[in-house]
Amino acid sequence: MDELLLSKVRLGVVAELLNFDWIAFSELARSLDVSNGNLGAHLGKLVDAGYVDEEKSFVKRRPLTRYRLTKRGREAFSAHVSQLQSLLQSANS
Amino acid sequence: MERIDPSQARDHLEMVNRILAESQQRLCAGGEYFVVWGVGSAYVTILFQLADNGLVPGAALWSVPAVLVLCAIFSIYRSRATRATLARSSLLQREFFNVLWLTIGLAFLTNVAAYRIFAGVAGAAIWSLAETIVLLYIGMHGNRRAQIAGVVVLASLIAANFAAPSVSGYVLGAGMLAGYAGFGIAELLAGD
Repeated sequence: MDELLLSKVRLGVVAELLNFDWIAFSELARSLDVSNGNLGAHLGKLVDAGYVDEEKSFVKRRPLTRYRLTKRGREAFSAHVSQLQSLLQSANS
Repeated sequence: MERIDPSQARDHLEMVNRILAESQQRLCAGGEYFVVWGVGSAYVTILFQLADNGLVPGAALWSVPAVLVLCAIFSIYRSRATRATLARSSLLQREFFNVLWLTIGLAFLTNVAAYRIFAGVAGAAIWSLAETIVLLYIGMHGNRRAQIAGVVVLASLIAANFAAPSVSGYVLGAGMLAGYAGFGIAELLAGD
């Protein structure tokens, strides 16, 4: 089991990013309904692990930070979800 | 090492399923591109037909490259501006823009580089075909307006084939205006 994805917030971030090319920090915080500080800490761990790419820029003089899922993050998510499903199946059998 | 029990696993999987279900989006097409390219391609097509029929001087055809370059500049400027400000940019959207650029770009190149093979109304028909592909591609992702618009442009292509040579360009141009530009206007009015 991927320990990084055992956190519900981090798993939620990866799931949010799955169908998107880029998502802004503010949009992720709104979707997941978590505080900026909490989300920032979780995103930092995902970036450090190479699961998520971070891009910082300025749009009309305002900072914009966006994130996208890496190939490594996508593979980790897929493996983690499979393991969760296996755990559920073995518990039910 | 952290552990997770089956009830937590179920909770996590339910959250993942909910997030994935909410992120299933329809393709957002960006109506302004369709209005600009629909009007631009119709202008070129109708102008060629008018010149062919002797209703406008041949010198008017010099406006064609200028119109096409203006359409291209608008598209490049708009896509850069939009991409920078989007809070969410979906993979599907990126794929759509790849299809859009590839199709319209190839039609543009074919018109410029193979003008002897696709001379006159055949060159305009290439645009109709490219526009049909783009619209039906959007239609494949659940956009009913794009399906209808694609059929309109395709119908104009077939109708132009059977129309008299003096009006076939007008028929193609009408299809571009009603189908391609019309779809763009409908998307802008719908606000998605």
